[in-house]
Amino acid sequence: MHSLTFLALCVLPNPFEPVKLMRDASESGWKIDEMLETTTIFVSILFLMTVVWMMWSVVRHGPKHKAVYEDGADFKSWRWTALAALLIFVVVDGDLLAHSTAFMFGTFFDFKGAEAKPGAVRIEINAHQWAWNARYAGPDGKFNTEDDIVVLNDIVVPVGAPVIFQVTSTDVIHGFNVPEMRMKVDAVPGTVTRMWFQPKETGVFEIICAQHCGANHYKMRGTVTVLPRGEFDRWAAVTSLNATRGFDPKDMEAHWGWDWAEHARVE
Amino acid sequence: MTAQEAAFNRQTIEALQPIHSPPTTFWSKYMWSLDHKVIAKQYLWAGLLFLLIGGTLAMMIRWQWAFPGRPVPLLGPIFLRSSGGVVGPAVYMQLFTMHGLIMIFFAITPILIGAFGNFCIPLLIGARDMAFPWLNALSFWVFAFSQLLVIGSFLGDLGAAGAGWTTYPPLSTAIGTPGTGQTLMVAAIFTTGVASIMGGINYITTVIRLRAPGMTYMRMPLTVWGQFLTAILNVLFVPVLGSAALLLLMDRVFGTQFFIAGAAAVKGGGDPILFQHLFWIFGHPEVYILILPAWGIVADLLAFFSRKPANWYKGTVHAMSAVTILSAVVYGHHMFQTGMNPLLGEGFTTLTLIISVPAEVLFLNWLRTIYKGSIRLTVPMLFALSMVFVFGLGGLTGLYLGANAPDIYLHDTMFVVGHFHFTMAAASFLASLAGIYYWYPKMFGRNMNQTLGKIHFWFSSVGITLVFGGQLLVGYAGQNRRLWNPFAYEVFKPLQPLNRWTSYFAFVLFTGQLIFVWNFIYSMARGRKAEANPWSVGTLEWSIPSPPPVHNFDAIPVVVRGPHELSNPELEKKLGRDWVGQAEVVAGEEPGAVRTAAQGAT
Repeated sequence: MHSLTFLALCVLPNPFEPVKLMRDASESGWKIDEMLETTTIFVSILFLMTVVWMMWSVVRHGPKHKAVYEDGADFKSWRWTALAALLIFVVVDGDLLAHSTAFMFGTFFDFKGAEAKPGAVRIEINAHQWAWNARYAGPDGKFNTEDDIVVLNDIVVPVGAPVIFQVTSTDVIHGFNVPEMRMKVDAVPGTVTRMWFQPKETGVFEIICAQHCGANHYKMRGTVTVLPRGEFDRWAAVTSLNATRGFDPKDMEAHWGWDWAEHARVE
Repeated sequence: MTAQEAAFNRQTIEALQPIHSPPTTFWSKYMWSLDHKVIAKQYLWAGLLFLLIGGTLAMMIRWQWAFPGRPVPLLGPIFLRSSGGVVGPAVYMQLFTMHGLIMIFFAITPILIGAFGNFCIPLLIGARDMAFPWLNALSFWVFAFSQLLVIGSFLGDLGAAGAGWTTYPPLSTAIGTPGTGQTLMVAAIFTTGVASIMGGINYITTVIRLRAPGMTYMRMPLTVWGQFLTAILNVLFVPVLGSAALLLLMDRVFGTQFFIAGAAAVKGGGDPILFQHLFWIFGHPEVYILILPAWGIVADLLAFFSRKPANWYKGTVHAMSAVTILSAVVYGHHMFQTGMNPLLGEGFTTLTLIISVPAEVLFLNWLRTIYKGSIRLTVPMLFALSMVFVFGLGGLTGLYLGANAPDIYLHDTMFVVGHFHFTMAAASFLASLAGIYYWYPKMFGRNMNQTLGKIHFWFSSVGITLVFGGQLLVGYAGQNRRLWNPFAYEVFKPLQPLNRWTSYFAFVLFTGQLIFVWNFIYSMARGRKAEANPWSVGTLEWSIPSPPPVHNFDAIPVVVRGPHELSNPELEKKLGRDWVGQAEVVAGEEPGAVRTAAQGAT
């Protein structure tokens, strides 16, 4: 019987197999993964202890066991409860808080550092139901001009350089979310939000809208294609040339974009 | 408190609550009754009915995640005739919106707060009714009207509300979700808020003014503490939700632009994020509004069925109070991804993590209560224990989401869905069932079938853990929530088998609830008649007949001890049993000399 069960387990697909953090293709994603994994270890230990404690109590201290009359209210008793709570807080929450703070101020909000790196790419995202409009400044370095590269849903970036996004939305709130880069920020109408990441490998990575934005929310898919630097530069040059050629000054719908520096302030 | 003082206090409090003649006609007895016990049952029925509706919606969502785009069996031919039984993307968004709103505002709230609050507060503190019986009835009927609006929403010309339970504008304005369905739902939220505020004021007043003599705050059963703190949160924060709902209604109906911004067709000078602030200032306390009564019930039941005093009662009370206060200042963690100021994000992270200290004190007290006890695995105790189990999972997974860096990866994923379902749904659902099985004899004067109760327990506790556990797992792997077809994305394709398994468990969980429906209804007519104190517990409600008379107590009791005086060896010797009533004076005991420093109630 046991061997049959074993055999079945070997043959049947294991539904838990894909349960792991998503592939990480960014330079700093490991910092988030480390926090998640450390917390998972802590949480598993605490939960296991809880379950063992409960099982032990139920099995050993059943109806046949004489209840011990104590209310845990004297200092000698409650200090252990308080101490355990504080210990868990300092170790588990403390670790999380320290790492999270370090990440937020050292990486997430380090727009200054990202902008300063050579080869950094700036992209403006304008989300709408149900697609991602993206705009690169082009050779002149200014947004909303003739030579801008404008793409829909298919964003192309180089490997090994920071990619900085300024994000907004024209209609409802969307969530600009590239999980394999461990980054996500809401696209809010009337506001420009920011995020950045630095890809460490080439490939195609999905953009998955993270905020419910209507019936076709599930279809609001885009991709980030990470190319080697040379290929990216060629793509950018060709696309910018095509854009300049096809520029239509009367097509007001296509003219959006904002002054980058205005929103690139450093906190 | 001397014997004379007690007598004086009792006279005053008796004079406050004269006994009226009981109602005689059917309508005054069951419909327009001012009796808190009847209103509690009205809330219970209303809540259970909507729990069934909300659960049915959940089954259709689960079907969609298991078999996207395939016709729903059984339910499809009835509810989705126009699409041949298929859940389309527009219907899907209505399903998860209505599921969330119904479960939170129209199922768990009326059961945990409406039913248990009404039933327990007067009985457990030794009062004859609520402080404002008429307001109490009004609160229920306003609530019932809000439920009608929910039903109306389903009949809206463009379908029910679809902007998600969080109702974020601009999606929730006429730009994203036109049609009467969404409007009626926002109106329903406002209306149910009015009912909650009326109930909250009533609960607070009752607890402060109508405690029996000797029922000091530190002698109140923890169930009452949970209801009391929840009522405070309701009165403070539901008005904020009300204001948000009202402004949103004006945006929808009168063309104002409080929450509308953007370009082109939707140009407006408002601020969508303002709504999120208003919503979550209410929304985070709401999590505790739903869980505090559950904590109270479970903390009491663990002590009663371990035959042991609740461990560090005062610590639990202070912890619950601390959580109540902190709950007001952590709401920003719901908005980490909105481009929040770094310092603000840091502050909210720190405050959120600090909440885990009182939560741990509370949790450790539960664990220490059952340790060295004499555990009786009755049906209410089984549910209470499984509540501790699921709340442990829910609380621990909250750690990941409380810190803003890991939240970048997990925000808007199924991990969040799993987390809040473990805390808000599983924990409050299991605690509600524990409460129903526990107070059923007192409510209806008959016992539920315990064997069926145990079968129902296994379906519920194992089922709910597997369903929400499945959500946590796919969320950890990154799967986003609210996707009509998650498998349209390459990265989520490998997760389809796990989603399907989770759905199977959900169907089993739902089916298992039919056992409860049968047991609940059948026992009302045919259950074994209940004695006054079937569980051998000393709190005041068990010192009067089951079901209690309309006026509850013939004479207002004088309370002499705390609620969990169990297995006291001295009293056991004198009484020959391991429990003693809260108002029971044992020979040789000075009423004033018992345990806690006593204080008059008025």
